[in-house]
Amino acid sequence: MAARGHVQDPNDRRLRPIYDYLDNGNNKMAIQQADKLLKKHKDLHCAKVLKAIGMQRTGKQDEAFNLAQEVATLEPTDDNSLQALTILYREMHRPELVTKLYEAAVRKVPLSEEYHSHLFMAYARVGDYKKMQQAGMALYKIVPKNPYYFWSVMSLVMQAISAQDEKLAQTMFLPLAERMVEKMVKEEKIEAEAEVQLYFMILERLGKCVEALNMVRGPLGEKLTSELQSRENKCMMMYQRLQLWPECNALSYKLLLKNPDDWQFYLSYFDSLFHLMDMSWSPSEEGQHCVEGHVTTTVAEAVKFVVDRMAEEDKKDSRPLRGPYMACLELIHRLRQRGCPDDKELGDPLELMVQFFGKFGDKPCCITDLKIYLHLLPPEQHTQFRNRLEELVPLGEAGEDGFRFPGDTKALQRHLCVCQLSRALGLQHALDTEGKLSLIAQLKAHYHHGLRFRKSCLKTELQFSDMYCLMAAHVYIDLWTENGDENMLWQCLGLLEEGLSFSPSNAQFKLLLLLLFCRLGAFQPVVDLYSSLDAKHVQHDTIGYLLTRYAGSLGQFAAASQSCNFSLRFFHSNQKDTSEYIIQAYKYGAFEKIPEFIAFRTRLNQSLHFAQVRTERMLLDLYTEADITLSLEESVKAMGVCAEEEDIPWDNMRDNRDLTVLVSWDPKDRELTEEHRRLSLEEESVWLKVRSLTLRLLASLALLGHAPSPRNSDKTNENGVTTKSSTLQNLLSQLDQTLQTAARITEKQTKYPFLGPPSSRLASALSSGSCHCQASALRLSLTLQELETAGLDDSSELQSQICNTFKSIVVQLQEMLSRCKGEVLEMKDRRLKTQPSLLETLVFFLETVCVVLWVASYSANVLRPLKSSLQKKKKKKKDTCTAMPVVLCGFQEWTSGLQGVVTQALDHVKAQEAQLTTLKLAALTLEEGDQQTQEECGFTRVAMDKVQSSYLGSLQELGDLLRKRADSLKSLKI
Amino acid sequence: MLTMTTLRAFTCDDLFKFNNINLDPLTETYGIPFYLQYLAHWPEYFIVAEAPGGELMGYIMGKAEGSVAREEWHGHVTALSVAPEFRRLGLAAKLMEMLEEISERKGGFFVDLFVRVSNQVAVNMYKQLGYSVYRTVIEYYSASNGEPDEDAYDMRKALSRDTEKKSIIPLPHPVRPEDIE
Repeated sequence: MAARGHVQDPNDRRLRPIYDYLDNGNNKMAIQQADKLLKKHKDLHCAKVLKAIGMQRTGKQDEAFNLAQEVATLEPTDDNSLQALTILYREMHRPELVTKLYEAAVRKVPLSEEYHSHLFMAYARVGDYKKMQQAGMALYKIVPKNPYYFWSVMSLVMQAISAQDEKLAQTMFLPLAERMVEKMVKEEKIEAEAEVQLYFMILERLGKCVEALNMVRGPLGEKLTSELQSRENKCMMMYQRLQLWPECNALSYKLLLKNPDDWQFYLSYFDSLFHLMDMSWSPSEEGQHCVEGHVTTTVAEAVKFVVDRMAEEDKKDSRPLRGPYMACLELIHRLRQRGCPDDKELGDPLELMVQFFGKFGDKPCCITDLKIYLHLLPPEQHTQFRNRLEELVPLGEAGEDGFRFPGDTKALQRHLCVCQLSRALGLQHALDTEGKLSLIAQLKAHYHHGLRFRKSCLKTELQFSDMYCLMAAHVYIDLWTENGDENMLWQCLGLLEEGLSFSPSNAQFKLLLLLLFCRLGAFQPVVDLYSSLDAKHVQHDTIGYLLTRYAGSLGQFAAASQSCNFSLRFFHSNQKDTSEYIIQAYKYGAFEKIPEFIAFRTRLNQSLHFAQVRTERMLLDLYTEADITLSLEESVKAMGVCAEEEDIPWDNMRDNRDLTVLVSWDPKDRELTEEHRRLSLEEESVWLKVRSLTLRLLASLALLGHAPSPRNSDKTNENGVTTKSSTLQNLLSQLDQTLQTAARITEKQTKYPFLGPPSSRLASALSSGSCHCQASALRLSLTLQELETAGLDDSSELQSQICNTFKSIVVQLQEMLSRCKGEVLEMKDRRLKTQPSLLETLVFFLETVCVVLWVASYSANVLRPLKSSLQKKKKKKKDTCTAMPVVLCGFQEWTSGLQGVVTQALDHVKAQEAQLTTLKLAALTLEEGDQQTQEECGFTRVAMDKVQSSYLGSLQELGDLLRKRADSLKSLKI
Repeated sequence: MLTMTTLRAFTCDDLFKFNNINLDPLTETYGIPFYLQYLAHWPEYFIVAEAPGGELMGYIMGKAEGSVAREEWHGHVTALSVAPEFRRLGLAAKLMEMLEEISERKGGFFVDLFVRVSNQVAVNMYKQLGYSVYRTVIEYYSASNGEPDEDAYDMRKALSRDTEKKSIIPLPHPVRPEDIE
């Protein structure tokens, strides 16, 4: 709460203890103290508001609100009340009320700079740009300070940016903003750099690039000093937009002479050169080039420029710059693209790359640099290239094992780089199994040898040779995915565990281990690995998918719910956080950041992962809690799920996942492409749609159950029910459509690079049969509703239809369960074999059981009154011979059928648990010798143990939940 | 120096791409408000380096603060980090040079930064760049998981405005975190 300095006002003194209580979190005492004060001083409004804050913080939202409104309607103008109400409304997430408050305050005290300024900020919090524009101007009229004037201008720009109608932006808001600034320019009232920045922003958005350029070059531009090279960068931007290629070229040239390492200017230099050549540009007859100076017009000249830069680097005693050498390769690449034969003059790419390696091979980024230009080498040169590089790697004499090792870290880095380049050239992939195994042996030997180079023993430092270990792991994965040899995977896990033991901070080891454990269906070790990555805040959005994709699908519900919570907490704080900094950006005149912050907020709000965790979290709650601790209806209500509406931005979904977070040296044709990204997003979106529809269907099922029986209800209720069932109907047909789309997508069987995005749960959900079984169960609730209206008499057709669905659902569940049968982990021929998909299918089975049981519970609710009215009739008629209606018998059969399936499932889980517990991995003789040393076997065992215990954990959680569900079956008697 | 980079202003979108830098154990990932505060207040002090392939190589985040009257107006390095694969290129030095240049333009007296006493690599690098230990701040870095809190060095480098280099005369005694401004 606001620091309260000089205590002169007696009211301040009286209020002080309440502030203190509130600050210390002692809300109860704050309320008491406020009451005491209010008894003596009825008109001390602020005390009321402070009391309201105390109430708000103790969960009495409604009372707090009413109390606050008592004060607000009086339209207070004292600082204390205004500030306290502002705090209260903010905590209530009602920023729009703050605007009302200060609107009243400035009406009463029209000359207060402070209140006007608060009003401006209040509008900023709700994003009312038009009102901001007016408030800024009103402020300026009271106190003619420049910032206020420009707040108003910026608010016009924001109206332009947020306008639906681009025409309105271009013809009204922006020109008005421009005129406002021009007026200040004419009156020579421009003071701050921020004002010039804003002017530039306006001109740029208006497309008035010439004017912008003149402004930057002119006296106003002299104010652009904070950012380095601000004027040059802005000029360059405008030259490019205006396609002033001579100027663009000459400026790039100048800037490169100054700093021959600034990559962006090589790009603009080459771009502009080719544009100039295409338009056959030549300098004027007087030899005049352009305002920026000399223009390069021929390839020969550009070649000379680059060659000169390289020569200059070669001359230097200090470390040479990479820029010119890379620029040379870039120019060859571009000349080839244009089919221009002049590239020969720059030299042979192979020679140039060998030369580059000679100079920079000992830098870890050498691979990243050269990878971009490997396509300049024809395939037949690949091996030759590698051999040439190998000649440049100083290695010692061959030892017993035939390997030659580097003598220092620079040599190590060079050798590593050659390995990385061979992988990037596809040479490793071309090896046969034996070749790959001996490559692994070589990489491991280099890894172990390199461990000696680390001087310090800090946990935070990486080993110089870590990347050998990672690469060996990649080759293991190649072998596993190509041959399906699971042994390769176990050895890979062991190797990475070993790597982590020497380099406990290596994020890449952790990420790969995490991915492999997930693929193996073992989620438990993943929790620790992820938490040791210390991923926080925005990283929950970018790499949180690694966790949330698998947690729930592997039956680790507690962990799943926790990982969703991490992410949700982050997303929910975003909205509040960003508004605060939008206001700060106004205050500090960082105008260009304002649209950026807003775009950022939108990007987070539209995040795919946000929508996923939101949906999954609620589904998880339902699956694990509803009808166990709370009824489905109560659960749905508590979560605020709305069947009719949804808040997922289907058309603007943003994929913020960092899909290249795992290091890869794979050749281009195996790398993640834009198409992969598109397909992955599509797949995830469709799966999300399925989940979100399921959630909403469950919500509307809960509402159906809530509806009183239409027989003894009046007309409005009947209407209510019709709306509810039409919602259900509508959602069901959406689900059908989505499942059709889903089937089309899974037919494509998109394979992503191993280190890229995991495939969604869509395919396994469809093949498990869960989607269709859930859909038919949910559809059944509609038919039951028809029966409810029709009654038991004259509805035999409907009844037999219902009974058929009863039976079919049991059959479908049986089939699903049979797909879960098998050993999730077993020893075969002294080898360990996993079938993690069985776990995933079991989870789908369990989810489906939940849905079916909720529908069953709804059925029971419908049938119960029907049955009892029938019994009443029977009693009256004393007619004992009337047969029981088909649907009632069918229901009883159904529940016992369901009971049967659930019992079977429980038996299956129990058997699996028992089998896993008795499985003694220690009995497994891992083959030592040429493949793995005893120590390595130890690490592999560690990994195996983790997988075993994780499977066990999943089975236990699944078993527990099944048991709870089985209990709820008992309440289905009618 | 051989950075070969595009150096540009850090933007919000970079927060989605900086994992290769921030997954490093010594690099803290702050809450969004922290980054937004710097972007709103000192955007020119937040610079990112981008490699030709589009990867982020490293960034520096800083601010200007202190009283001019007391000759304490200075540039401060809040965070400086380079991704492992882009180390040993002189990038950190380049980014520091830029921050110093910006601080010069703002008329700062010195540039300062805090570094873990144990982070010998960083301490040595800063020494090479002309920084010296001005004071030790006791238990500046609070540790998690039961390990003891760690001291920080407050290192400084005088800028041209501090002609007599008064700002960097080392304090004789260590200070506590609550005593620093």
